[in-house]
Amino acid sequence: MQAEAKFAPIRKGLLEFLVLKIVGTESVYVPDILRKLAETEFATQEGTLYPLLSKIRREDLVQYEWQESDVGPPRKYYRLTKAGKAQLAAFDEYWAQINKTISNIGR
Amino acid sequence: MQPVMTVSLNRTAVQIEEDAHARLSAYLADASAKLAANPDRAEILLDLEQAVADQCKRRMVPGQTVITLVELGPALDEMGPVEPPEAAPPAAPAKPSPTGVLQQVSEGAMISGVCKGLARAAAIDVTLVRVIAIVLLFATGGAMIVLYLVLMFLIPFAPLDPNGPPVRKLPAKCREYVLLIRSKLGSLTN
Repeated sequence: MQAEAKFAPIRKGLLEFLVLKIVGTESVYVPDILRKLAETEFATQEGTLYPLLSKIRREDLVQYEWQESDVGPPRKYYRLTKAGKAQLAAFDEYWAQINKTISNIGR
Repeated sequence: MQPVMTVSLNRTAVQIEEDAHARLSAYLADASAKLAANPDRAEILLDLEQAVADQCKRRMVPGQTVITLVELGPALDEMGPVEPPEAAPPAAPAKPSPTGVLQQVSEGAMISGVCKGLARAAAIDVTLVRVIAIVLLFATGGAMIVLYLVLMFLIPFAPLDPNGPPVRKLPAKCREYVLLIRSKLGSLTN
């Protein structure tokens, strides 16, 4: 579907925002993030998510800590930093603004 | 019967059949190449190794100790190829090169577009041309105005760019009158 292909870059650009939102609610590890996204239009894969997480960690938006696991090696649990929370709030506000613009324009 | 190898995935020893190992090596080599410029490459590769181990373990039947292509294939499909989030850095804006073609540019012009045209032809900043023109205006005691008018009548106008910035009132008027006078002169000489 042609429209579908046009939306792909939009989804790709919004993925970081979605990940920040998921990390913002609680401390999560990667399979949690993938599971939450899998139910949405933003379903993604490890191959995309790990590099993205490393990017936003370098930007100091998230940080992780190791937690022991009963079934395997320790896991990285991600959570937002202060800068990440500020970025998420800014994203939220901007998104609300864009939504308003889109629904009001061309009426 | 398949030879089995022992490899380290995220620092944990794992047994894997040889053909599955070849496939995994190719996947990790591709990931490594795509992350070549990433400062966290080593860490991401370890994360991916761990993800491979987890994905395969989930697919193994109880009691199975060796990873085969049966587990690895779907595991890698689910993980997907590595895609760095950093978009390619935007190409540096092309540096204007001297066009060598002298035309008046109405868009963004102050008077008629002579300075803009000179700047474009020589690929230099229009402000520099204007400053020189104003210095010359004073230095020549106003004779620069005559030179400007001559150039304005002689230099052809560049076609208007429909996607370009709008033309200001004065350049539009200049263009209109110069073209009108030129066409009158043209019909007189014919």
